[in-house]
Amino acid sequence: MAKKDKTDVSFMKSLFAGVIDQETIFPYPKLPQDEQENLDMILQAWNEFAKDAVDSPQIDRDKKIPKEVLQGMAELGFFGLSIPEQYGGAGLSETAYCRVFEEVCNYDASLAVTLGAHASIGTNGLLLYGTEKQKQKYLPKLASGEWIAAFALTEPGAGSDAAGIQSKAVLNDKKTHFILNGGKMWISNGSISDLWTVFAKTDVIEDGVIKEKISAFLVEAKWPGCSAGKPEDKFGIRGSDTTALNFDNVQVPVENLLGPLGKGFKVAMETLNVGRLGLAAGNVGGCKLLTQMAADYAKNRKQFGQSIAEFEIIKDKIANMAADAYAAESMVYLTSALADRHTVDYSLESAISKVFASEALWRAANEAMQIAGGNGYSTEYPFGQIVRDARINLIFEGTNEILRAFTALAGMQGPGEYLKKIGKALRDPIKGFGLLTEFAVQKVRDVVTKDTLKNIAPELKEQAERFNDFADELQSNVEKVLMKYGKEIIHHEFIQQRIANMAIDLYGMAAVISRVDSKIKDSKSVEQEMPLVQLYCDAAWRRVRREARQIENNLDKQRRQACDLIYNSKQIPFDVFHE
Amino acid sequence: MKIAILLKQVPVKDATLKVNGDGLWIDEDNVTFEINESDHYGLEEALRLKEKHDGEVVVVTMGPERVKESIKQALAKGADRAIHINSSGYSNPDPIAHAKLLCAAIKDENFDLILSGLQSDDLGYGQTGVLVAEMLGMAHATLVMETDVQDGKIKVKRELEGGWFQSVELPLPAVLTIQSGLNQIRYATIKGIMAAKRKEIKEIAISDLGVSDADASGIQMHKIYLPVKTKQTVVLEGDTADIVSKLVDKLKNEAKVL
Ligand SMILES: Cc1cc2nc3c(=O)[nH]c(=O)nc-3n(C[C@H](O)[C@H](O)[C@H](O)COP(=O)(O)OP(=O)(O)OC[C@H]3O[C@@H](n4cnc5c(N)ncnc54)[C@H](O)[C@@H]3O)c2cc1C
Repeated sequence: MAKKDKTDVSFMKSLFAGVIDQETIFPYPKLPQDEQENLDMILQAWNEFAKDAVDSPQIDRDKKIPKEVLQGMAELGFFGLSIPEQYGGAGLSETAYCRVFEEVCNYDASLAVTLGAHASIGTNGLLLYGTEKQKQKYLPKLASGEWIAAFALTEPGAGSDAAGIQSKAVLNDKKTHFILNGGKMWISNGSISDLWTVFAKTDVIEDGVIKEKISAFLVEAKWPGCSAGKPEDKFGIRGSDTTALNFDNVQVPVENLLGPLGKGFKVAMETLNVGRLGLAAGNVGGCKLLTQMAADYAKNRKQFGQSIAEFEIIKDKIANMAADAYAAESMVYLTSALADRHTVDYSLESAISKVFASEALWRAANEAMQIAGGNGYSTEYPFGQIVRDARINLIFEGTNEILRAFTALAGMQGPGEYLKKIGKALRDPIKGFGLLTEFAVQKVRDVVTKDTLKNIAPELKEQAERFNDFADELQSNVEKVLMKYGKEIIHHEFIQQRIANMAIDLYGMAAVISRVDSKIKDSKSVEQEMPLVQLYCDAAWRRVRREARQIENNLDKQRRQACDLIYNSKQIPFDVFHE
Repeated sequence: MKIAILLKQVPVKDATLKVNGDGLWIDEDNVTFEINESDHYGLEEALRLKEKHDGEVVVVTMGPERVKESIKQALAKGADRAIHINSSGYSNPDPIAHAKLLCAAIKDENFDLILSGLQSDDLGYGQTGVLVAEMLGMAHATLVMETDVQDGKIKVKRELEGGWFQSVELPLPAVLTIQSGLNQIRYATIKGIMAAKRKEIKEIAISDLGVSDADASGIQMHKIYLPVKTKQTVVLEGDTADIVSKLVDKLKNEAKVL
C-alpha cells in the first residue's frame, strides 16, 4: 500500500458541487486476471479450512475463538492478507482483501472482527504511516500471525468525539521516550494482542505556542505499564475479544511515534477509512448469505398448503433483501477499487458504504428472522445469533449517526469554501477576479446544462435520468442550506441527515448504474440483475426525493418540541388513563 | 526422489449434470470442476514423500484449458512444476489412449515414483495408472493405503476387500494408485498460492506427443443418460411379529441382502 499524495479527486465530493465525475467511477472496476485467480484460490483455501474448522454457534456459546482456528488461519497466511509480500504478507489489494473478509464473515462474525481489528485497523496505520524501520520490525510478525494487532482510539470519555481523548504522552527530558498515561475502552483484540496503535495527546509547539495535539504510537503490549482489562460480555460477536486498556507510565521509545508528531488524528481517520470499507464488505457477505438463508427457509416451510416462499408478502421481503445486497455489493467494490488507486479521496464513499451496508444487513437479519417465524427466534436456528452479531456494525468504526454527519459536512465543505470565496470575491471584485470567472463558468454550466451521466446504455435510461435529476437536487439543496446557515450548518443535524441520506442513495445509484452499464458494454447479459437494479434504483430515488422535499418542508420544529417535552419531564408525560 | 502425480479434473460432486446435444457426454457449460478426489490424496502423498526424502513433485494433467485451475491449485499446495497435455478438442474416452499420451509426455522424465488416484470420479475406469506402469515397464500397486520408501524400494499397504490389507514391497521406479483417505489433505497457504504463479507449467499439444494412434479407441460411447430415481419408501403395518416377518421376506427376496 504505497502512500502517495492524494489528489483531490473524489466522486462524492464533486457530486456535492454538482459535478458528475463520471470518469472516476466508469467503467465499473474489475480485478486484473491474475489477481482474480489468486483471489479465487485464496477463497477456495479459506472455504476448505473454514468448513472443517469454524463452528460459529460454538464460538458464540464459548465466547471464545479456539486457539487452533486462529493458529490455522495464521499458518495459511490470513493474518497478512494486505501486508506487502516483502514483509511476509500476501500483498492483496483492498478489493481482494474485502472479498476475502466477506467470506470470513460468512463463517463467523467474531472471527471476522478479530481478523479485521488485526489486519485492517490494527495494521493499516503502520502500513500507511510507518517508517521503513517500523515496518521491518513489526510487519513480518503481524503477517505471520505470531503477533496480533489492535487499534486503540476510543476512551471512556471519548467515543464518537474521538478528538476528545485524554490519554497523554509526554516526552521525557532526555527526549528518548514518551511517557504514556491513560486508558482505552472497547478495544477489539485488547487482551489477545501484542501490538497496539495507540492515540494520545502530545504537546506540539506551533508558532511558538504549545498546543495539545493527538499523536499515534506503536505500543507493545508486553511493555511495563501496559495492561488489558477483562473481556466485555457482549450482546453479539461474543467470541471477539473486547477489553479496556490501561497505560501506567509506559515508556514508549521515540522511534515508535507513528506518523508525524501531532498528526495522530489524521492517522486514525485514514485508518478508519480503510477499516470501514472492510467492515462494509463483511456486511455485504452477510446480506447475501441471509438472503439465501431466508429464501431456502421460505421454500421449505409450508403453511396453508403451500410453501411460504409463494406468498407475496414474503416475496416482498426477499426481493428487497436481494436488491439491497446487490446495491451494497456494487458500492463496496466500486469504493475498494477507488482505494486501490491510491490517488483518490474515498473517505465519503467508504463512510457511505459502511452506513448503507450495515443497515442493509440489519434489515436483512430482521427480515430473515421474521421469515423463519418461531424457529427464527429459537437458539436452535442461526437467525438469532446473526441478529446479535449484525448489530455491532451500526455502532463501531464511527456510529452511523456520526458517519451521516461526516458525509454531509465533509461533502459540503467544498461547496462551502467555494461559496465563502465567492462571497469575498463579490465584495472585492478585482482581487477575486479569477474566482469570479470560475464561479461564473460553473454557474453558466449549471443553468444551461446541468451535469449528467453520458453515454449510458439505453436499458438504464430511466435510472440514469433519475440519478441526474437528483444529483442536481443535491447540489441545489447543498447550495441552498449553505446560503441559509453558513457555517452554522454544523449545528443542524436534521438537515445534515437529509443531505447525507441523499448522498448515500445517489452513490448507490451511481455504483449500480456503473456496474450494469459496464456489463452491458462488455456485451454481457444483464437480464438477470435488471429487476434488482430497478427495485433498488426506484426505492433509492423515492427516498432521495423525500429527503429533498423535507429539507424545506418539514416538521423539525415539532421534533424539537417533542424532545423538549420528553427531556423536561421525569416520566413520559402522557397516560391515556389520566387525561 | 522425483515424483509424478497424474492428476485429473472432474465435475464437482454436487454438480447438476445435463446430457449434451449429441447424448454422448455432459454439457460442460455451467459445470464447476475440481481435482479428482483420490488424485487429491495422491498429490498429498507425493508432497509428504518429497518432504521426507527431498526431490521434486511434478503434476501431470491432461485436459482442456480449464484444467490449468486445478494445476495451479496443486502448485499452490506445494508441487514444484507441471506438465499440461492440452487436450482441447480431443475426446477419446479410451484409457489406453490416455495412458499412451501420458507416457509419451513423461517417459523422458525418468520418475522414481508415479502416483495416480485410484480411479476418476467421472469415467471411473481405474485403469490409467496401471496402464502407464505397464507401458513404461514399471512395477505397480493399486489401492494403496500407506507408503514407506526405503533404500530404493517402496513398501505399501494395499486395501483388499472385507477389511483385509496386503503389504507389498516394490522396487523403484514404481507406479502406485492411491486410495482416498490415506492421509489428511493440506490446505493451500496464501504464500503457496502466490508462489504458484512463478512455477513452470509446460504445455504440450496432443499432436506434439507423436502418438500416432491417439485417436484409436477400443471403447465407443453410445449413449449416456441420467439414472432414473426408483427409490421407494414402504411403510410396513401390523403387529411387531407381522412386521418382522414381512421385513425378513423383503430383505431376502426383494433387496436380496439376507
Ligand atoms: C464490540 C466493540 C468493539 C470496538 N472495537 C474498537 C476498537 O477496536 N478500537 C477502538 O478504538 N474503538 C472500538 N470500539 C469503540 C466504538 O468505535 C465506539 O463505541 C463508537 O465509536 C461509539 O462511541 P461510544 O460508545 O462512546 O458512544 P457515544 O459516542 O457515547 O455515542 C452514543 C450515541 O450518541 C450518538 N452520537 C454521539 N455524538 C453524536 C452527534 N454529534 N450527533 C448525533 N449523534 C451522536 C452516537 O451515534 C450513538 O448513537 C468498539 C466498540 C464495540 C462495542
